[in-house]
Amino acid sequence: MNRRIFVLTGYLFRSLFFSLAGSLYVILALAYWAIFFPPGQGTPDLANYMLVIGVFGAALSFLTTITITGRANRAENYPLVVRLPSRVEYITAVLLSALAFTFLLQLLIALLALIRGPELTLGRALEIPPIWIAPNILAAVLALHASDLVTTGWSRVAIFGALALFLLGNSTHAGLSQWLADRLGGFSRFFYEQNAIPVSDAIVRLAAWLRGPGIETLGEIFGSIFWPLRAIAGGVTTGYFTPAQALAPAILLLFATILFLLAADFFAAKDLEMTE
Amino acid sequence: MITLDNVTKQYYSLTALDNVSFTIPRGEVVGLLGPNGAGKTTLIKLLAGLIAPTRGYLRPVQAGWPVIGLKPERLLFPNHLRVSQYLEMVAGMCGVAAADTERVVIESLARVNLLNAANKRIKHTSKGMRQRLGLAQAMIGNPPLLLLDEPSNGLDPDGQQEMARYIRELHAAGKTIVMSSHQLQEVTQVCTYLVILHNGRIRYQNRMAAALALRPYVRIRSDRPLAQIETLLRGLHPDIEVEGDTAVLRNEAMRLRRHVLTLLLNMDYDVVRVEQKRITLAEIYAEAVQ
Repeated sequence: MNRRIFVLTGYLFRSLFFSLAGSLYVILALAYWAIFFPPGQGTPDLANYMLVIGVFGAALSFLTTITITGRANRAENYPLVVRLPSRVEYITAVLLSALAFTFLLQLLIALLALIRGPELTLGRALEIPPIWIAPNILAAVLALHASDLVTTGWSRVAIFGALALFLLGNSTHAGLSQWLADRLGGFSRFFYEQNAIPVSDAIVRLAAWLRGPGIETLGEIFGSIFWPLRAIAGGVTTGYFTPAQALAPAILLLFATILFLLAADFFAAKDLEMTE
Repeated sequence: MITLDNVTKQYYSLTALDNVSFTIPRGEVVGLLGPNGAGKTTLIKLLAGLIAPTRGYLRPVQAGWPVIGLKPERLLFPNHLRVSQYLEMVAGMCGVAAADTERVVIESLARVNLLNAANKRIKHTSKGMRQRLGLAQAMIGNPPLLLLDEPSNGLDPDGQQEMARYIRELHAAGKTIVMSSHQLQEVTQVCTYLVILHNGRIRYQNRMAAALALRPYVRIRSDRPLAQIETLLRGLHPDIEVEGDTAVLRNEAMRLRRHVLTLLLNMDYDVVRVEQKRITLAEIYAEAVQ
């Protein structure tokens, strides 16, 4: 299995690296470096260095995965897919090749940025891999779900719809809480008119809770899936990680694992109609 | 080798395969015939595991799904690679040890007469070379089951003969082959088992030798039209037909050939030719897809 994945990973990596799209990514990376770490500018601080390159890695990981899935989804690969005992090997190779490509460009930017960049102690340097790698993997797995290769039926809409819902709920939880409380008020009046006083009272209490402490609780529920990202950013900015914040990369990897298993399940069961 | 049980495949409202049941016999060359849209490619994709049946199921006759080599209908390859690079990659995926890769690639190239194109980029190869490359990659790793979708499509007559020879060699080596084709001559030459599909259904299946041995008939050709004695001939046996100057004796009527010959000679007809024929694949096909 390892050899098959290794061979496929190498093939997909080379197909991107020696393509026009691959060259464009290199140019994009250099442009990013020139914009955020201009050689003439003063030395950036370490938090800036870690965050800016971390964001670059996650974004690049998403884009390269989308590009590689496009290549992996070509009909020329039917004979290769047929040879695999499990299709999971195929998307594993897609994921690994995208991560390897991202790693190369991220490393390039990271080294270039050090020319006039922050002084990096060994201790802080050792903090960097989990901070960069976990979001990269999560972004790559999300990109799998966005791709035609993996998506099946409405799966793409369901995954990104749920994500959008959490984002929306996270940013507008106060308004959402108020809106829910108003609707519950209407229900409460309806039950009151039907003489269902205990039900009406319970709904009134729920509406009151939503107008009070419920606002924060709702915010925490919707914001929970973004907590690891906030925790990493917080830890990087302050220069130290609390024990809870130190778990954030592991939680991102847990999210990525769940999403990858879901992607593998979708891909294993779908009819392969690759583009010709 | 693989059994299909009441397999149906639908693409939205289109039924590509409808309640298909049959078993791929081990060691045979199964020829899938049928007009365009009959379901041949869908059947090959199902066997390859690229798509799943909407209803019914496929199961291996023995434990474990056989290793499969696939040559798809469209000759699409990673054009940026060289022929040998591509085959090395396929060998790597088939579990060929790194030390053996070069030997395996050379052997497979030699087998399809592509050694001189080993270093060519795939985008610079001809259609014939690509067909052979498709076969070469399918053979790597020695899979017991080969699925060949229109293996000689677009080849010139020499190329078709060459492809037929490769397939016969693979059959002689004990491979089970499922191939779709529109070339009746090719199917007659290389296939040992025949499946004719039409509108997603199996209309005919039989061993090729048995199919072609079925329904022999005798044609007796005279020097002039037999219209005047048609009623007389039909009166001898209902399976005697008259086609212009020829009397065709089928089934039980074949036993009356001496009697018909005597009758013709007595009635002053000259017999030009007498031949015993067997049904052709073209006739089987035409009947199946009517």
